[in-house]
Amino acid sequence: MRSLVTRPLATVGQAWLALAATLGGATILLGRILRSLVPPRFDRDETWRQLYGVGVKSAGIVVVTALFVGAIMVIQSAFYVRRTGATSLLGYGVGFTVFAEIGPILIGLMFSGRVGANNTAELGTMVVTEQVDALRTLAIDPIRYLVVPRFIAMIVMMLMLMALGDVFAVIGATLTADALIGIDPQVLIDSLLESHLLDEYLLGLGKALCFGVSISVLSCWYGLGVRGGATGVGRAVNNSVVANAAAIFFIDFVMGWLFPVGL
Amino acid sequence: MNARIGQGFGAVGAPVVAVWRHGWAIYSVFAQVVWAIVTGAIRWREVVRQAYLIGNRSLFFITVTLGFLGLISVYQVASQIQRILPDFTMMGPAFIQLMWREFAPTITGLMVATRVGSGIAAEIGSMVVTEQVDALRMCNADPVRYLIVPRTVASAVMLVMLTIYAVFVATLAGMALADVVFNVDPSTFVSFRLVTTADVALGLAKALSYGFWIPIVAGQAGLSATGGSAGVGWATTRAVVSSSFAVILLDFIISGFGYVVLNL
Repeated sequence: MRSLVTRPLATVGQAWLALAATLGGATILLGRILRSLVPPRFDRDETWRQLYGVGVKSAGIVVVTALFVGAIMVIQSAFYVRRTGATSLLGYGVGFTVFAEIGPILIGLMFSGRVGANNTAELGTMVVTEQVDALRTLAIDPIRYLVVPRFIAMIVMMLMLMALGDVFAVIGATLTADALIGIDPQVLIDSLLESHLLDEYLLGLGKALCFGVSISVLSCWYGLGVRGGATGVGRAVNNSVVANAAAIFFIDFVMGWLFPVGL
Repeated sequence: MNARIGQGFGAVGAPVVAVWRHGWAIYSVFAQVVWAIVTGAIRWREVVRQAYLIGNRSLFFITVTLGFLGLISVYQVASQIQRILPDFTMMGPAFIQLMWREFAPTITGLMVATRVGSGIAAEIGSMVVTEQVDALRMCNADPVRYLIVPRTVASAVMLVMLTIYAVFVATLAGMALADVVFNVDPSTFVSFRLVTTADVALGLAKALSYGFWIPIVAGQAGLSATGGSAGVGWATTRAVVSSSFAVILLDFIISGFGYVVLNL
């Protein structure tokens, strides 16, 4: 009887404690990152390397994802266009979902999978092979040397990849509209331009900026907190992508609430 | 000059060859899984255990993500409707229909790909680098049959369940928001009059195929892990990217097929 009462309570309590530990740890890490940005003291070479590693290496997956996101959203919108006959729905559906809602979420999830997970794995491996301790022994601050360059690289590159992804999503949408659905691309472009394109575009970029912050901070936090060999690294990567996915949906909600498009 | 041309071909060809090899490796695991299922070599006890780990353990995660998705979709759409025509009667039915057709299966699939895919790759990857998989082979136990088949069956079943649950959660969240912010009566919002059998079948077909492919893609990434902890981390990363991409690709294929061929 007692275990029936205490066990669920313990589960809930542990979940809350874990959540509080993550949020607190990530916030402190963010504070330390911001602290080392004023005055800016971090490793410039490592920042360039990270910008290349994060941006160029994940451009391929973002481009392909964006092409398919555009295509899928055209198919889904076309379903309603066929029922109602209103082609303006196409621009509304594609513009809103691709630029402001589903596009940022999917590209953010892909970025979190490709870059965030990779980052956790890399930092985690450095922790378990005691390379981070070695840095500390050499009086090099791991935050300034490892974390801040990744923070900058991820924010900059998430924004640029989002802008790139938007272009390819429109390409994917027009190609699918033409080839699969039989809607003239001109109709799609026209109805896109009639919708609140700029608002949606800026909202998407704003979301990308916040995703960049949350993905970099959370993935670094999980990476630096790895305990216990190869299994620990795997588990940390798992936790990191889960936390990032939850954070992406939360940020998406908050941003959508604060900045509703088309009003 | 020749070296330049060679380099150019190499730069184009290397990714093509890499993608081809990756695809072939996944296809080979897929074939082994299908063969194992056809011949009935399924360890049901393990399937039930994996179903618990994949399904029940994802409930909280799915609740959070799909809840937020439901809230924000309804908020965005309702604020547009409020401005153009203040008639909310079609919003709920259309929302529920779109959830069934597209967003519940696909977003749930992506969440499972993220959570379960990375978990499978991390688990199998660390088994590979600690030579437990080699030990399995020594005992004449096929790693695909022993490790990947139960996860595939469990995840295919559980993703269908989770999708149904996801529609429920998103509808509940959207209903609550529509009621509180826009004064839409829950009885107006929750209406299944637009949802047809075809919509539900399309959504569940998507969920089933995502659930089937995610453990195959992630398990293959785990089995190909090499070298200590760096290898496990790399395999886990590859599992997340490949299985998420598999979900998006399958969504495109099934949606396109449904629209063009079946007129759904």
